[in-house]
Amino acid sequence: MDYKVDIRDIKFQLFEWLDTAKLLESERFGDWDLEQMDMIVDEALKIAQEQMAACNDDGDRIGAQWNDGIVTMPESFKPVYDTISEGGWIGLLGSPEYGGMGLPETVGTVVNEFFSGSNVSLSLTLMLTRGVGAMIENFGTDQLKATYVEKTYTGQWGGTMCLTEPQAGSDVGASTTKAIKQDDGSYLISGEKIFITSGDHNLAENIIHLVLARTPGAPAGTRGLSLFIVPKIRVNDDGTLGEANDVACSNIEEKMGIHGSPTCSLVFGGNDGCQGFLLGEELHGMKLMFHMMNAARIEVGMQGCAAAGGAHQQALAFAKERLQSRHWKMMKDPEAPQVAIVEHPDVRRMLLTSKAYTEAMRAILLQASYYLDLSHTAEGDEAKKYKNYVEVLTPICKAWCSEWGLQVAHLCVQVHGGYGYTKEYAAEQYMRDAEIACLYEGTNGIQALDFVARKLPLAGGQPIKDLLGMAEKTFNKAKSDPELMEPAWLLAAGLKQVETISKELGKRPDGIQLVLINAVPLLDMVGTCLGAHYLLDQAMLAKTKLAAILEDAGIDTDDKKAYKAFLSDNEEAAFFHNKVQTAIHFAYRALPTVPAKAAAIRSGEKAALYAIM
Amino acid sequence: MNCIVCVTSVPDTASVIKIGADGNQIDEGGIKWILSPHDEYALEEALKITEAQGGEVTVVTYGPARAEAVLRDCLARGAHQAVHVIGGEETLGDSFKIAQTLAAILKDREYGLILVGVQSVGTDNSQVGQMLAELLDLPHVAGITSLEVGEGTLNASREVEGGKEIYESPLPALLTCQKGLNEPRYAALKGIMAAKRKPVEKIEPSDIGIDEGAGAAYRLRSLSLPPEKGEGTLLQGEDDPAGAAGNLVKLLREEAKAI
Ligand SMILES: Cc1cc2nc3c(=O)[nH]c(=O)nc-3n(C[C@H](O)[C@H](O)[C@H](O)COP(=O)(O)OP(=O)(O)OC[C@H]3O[C@@H](n4cnc5c(N)ncnc54)[C@H](O)[C@@H]3O)c2cc1C
Repeated sequence: MDYKVDIRDIKFQLFEWLDTAKLLESERFGDWDLEQMDMIVDEALKIAQEQMAACNDDGDRIGAQWNDGIVTMPESFKPVYDTISEGGWIGLLGSPEYGGMGLPETVGTVVNEFFSGSNVSLSLTLMLTRGVGAMIENFGTDQLKATYVEKTYTGQWGGTMCLTEPQAGSDVGASTTKAIKQDDGSYLISGEKIFITSGDHNLAENIIHLVLARTPGAPAGTRGLSLFIVPKIRVNDDGTLGEANDVACSNIEEKMGIHGSPTCSLVFGGNDGCQGFLLGEELHGMKLMFHMMNAARIEVGMQGCAAAGGAHQQALAFAKERLQSRHWKMMKDPEAPQVAIVEHPDVRRMLLTSKAYTEAMRAILLQASYYLDLSHTAEGDEAKKYKNYVEVLTPICKAWCSEWGLQVAHLCVQVHGGYGYTKEYAAEQYMRDAEIACLYEGTNGIQALDFVARKLPLAGGQPIKDLLGMAEKTFNKAKSDPELMEPAWLLAAGLKQVETISKELGKRPDGIQLVLINAVPLLDMVGTCLGAHYLLDQAMLAKTKLAAILEDAGIDTDDKKAYKAFLSDNEEAAFFHNKVQTAIHFAYRALPTVPAKAAAIRSGEKAALYAIM
Repeated sequence: MNCIVCVTSVPDTASVIKIGADGNQIDEGGIKWILSPHDEYALEEALKITEAQGGEVTVVTYGPARAEAVLRDCLARGAHQAVHVIGGEETLGDSFKIAQTLAAILKDREYGLILVGVQSVGTDNSQVGQMLAELLDLPHVAGITSLEVGEGTLNASREVEGGKEIYESPLPALLTCQKGLNEPRYAALKGIMAAKRKPVEKIEPSDIGIDEGAGAAYRLRSLSLPPEKGEGTLLQGEDDPAGAAGNLVKLLREEAKAI
């Protein structure tokens, strides 16, 4: 695949919109400077384009293969995995003490966009491996840390998270995998996990599974779960590899997409010889697992954004090449030449909508990552405040971005016409691959329930109030600009609905039913308002920068012709101009869905409950 | 063995090139500058040699202030130190002047090998390496695609029409490098971190006795972009294939002048 991405927008959001420089002033990130951040972004993009993208087609067409208990990845994956591991890209967020690079999450999120957009299957292995390293770094004993963390950060050993069982999907608390303590302090693990991403493969010499299991006598539900480190191959005291640890891969799934990612059924202790090591304390499993899941939820949201961003670039390039039909101004003239489809207003609408949603997703994900960094660099109440912002934004990152990622991928297939349905073009793979982000790491339905039931009321509702309050400020700022005035008022109207509907639902006797039916639209309403808020904020910044360029060049925007000619010749000016158009488009197209959804919810309509199914 | 690698910063090959207002320079606005791709092979080879045999890699560039980013890129990939002769706007494309400047920097340094890209993308003159070798009185091989360095000698090969030439040369020597020689590495994150602390020696041309304004061997009078691709011509051949073929031959001969 030829991976294309809007690097200008990424750098704008990372370096011009967010105050990344301020982050680098903190002690935690003080060893890094902006120039290095820029180099890291460029280098990651180069690796994504030249390496990850180059083996993407093998992942999609050949896929992971299961044979007699062993999973084999396409041959082209291994050298790429090695390049990335050796370059330090798996451990980029981990602490330098264990071979990590100690970089900010904000930059990690950008790197994830590239890796996920160029080869989502391979990126999943990287993400899980990083996640396991971070979990052991945060919660392991010194011995566990010394044994596992550096090996995972350097990719020598891979990682997985094992929650799901046939009867325990969304209902993780229904897990039955057992862990029985042994005299030497280790545990004997037995049970079956399904749908385990990267559960077996030949990219790394060992795989470290983090397994949720139940100790004897543990209470029912998630409160009875503990978390265990279960290596595929046992590790000797000196760190070398010993004998196999009785973890068998009994099958991999045939799937709709992400064919290059092995989705494994794993049997632990089929021969009563599976050794596990407790991470943290007994019965704290779910609490710990949430740390990995929260990080993974932002990353899965990025899968949606990355698919959207990649698909949009493919569609844009295609639309400039494909000649079909006459220009709308010459619609009636059969002799008129065919034009590139990018000239057709409907195609332009699809392109701008997909651009707008992509940039809104990117903004939400980067803003959440930035708050995560601030939660690490700040102290006390400040740190807690930022942590709570991340908590509230996490289900939005995951569900809003995966949902719209899929929708955008669909629009981009549509731009391609029939060609988009063929494997000649990358758009269809983006669409097939995007669906999974809506499902795993907690389905979007479960995310929405988490959002309304746990995140909205979090800390007395202050964090969501703060976040929406910042959107209100953007409204106040933008409303005095004639060009952004109406979009700003659309935002204000959306915010008003979000605020009133939550209050109203709390007071209604059928409130609980309505919340359960409408959790998904409620999350979408908030995601849409935040997306609009960030895009308008970016548009205001873009306007200032554009004005400076125009003044320098002596261009008067009232002279429409001269302005247009200038834009066609000045990429930077065109970029800022487009940022403004994008925000306007999003405001008019996306924000009106907020009051519409609110009206539906407010009506109290419950046909879904009354219908006979 | 210590290696010197001469590098240059060039517009990213994906950049859209526009001609500047004065007509003899490109418009640098919006251009992303990168390490010239051929120089990547030279750097990679130097890194491999010093990793195997010990010694250090010094990268040298003669270019404007912005060229420092390219030196940092080389340092991030593993070069040990860098030398930056700051200037070169006026002497762009003047291979001899560039070679003289590099020679002035290198003449008193200690090295076993000098590695240079076969040409720099953009001006594509393919002259600096050979000129530099002559000025430093070094044996040289141009456009190598393989290299083995032994005790005091080297074996290098280069591709020629329909075959391969194999050279043996004493050290020190100068080689210009091209695609096929190796697979350039990516900068590792550790390398990017370390690059900040590695030394970049900054030198003004006058410090080494170079007067950039004097003795130009080459002047760029004007630049122009290649003509835009015209629209294709479609010959309808369904009803009269033979006639269409005749037309095609006529067009190829008279308009395209291809036959
Ligand atoms: C390709 C792939 C990779 C995966 N990788 C991993 C992995 O690495 N590790 C791992 O542990 N798991 C993994 N999973 C499992 C994944 O997380 C689960 O599939 C997911 O959580 C949903 O569980 P389920 O499939 O059992 O669906 P169910 O839980 O059966 O859900 C079915 C539907 O019911 C809805 N639903 C369920 N409960 C409720 C409720 N209380 N209220 C409202 N709606 C509800 C869901 O939203 C969904 O629409 C993976 C799955 C796939 C397909």
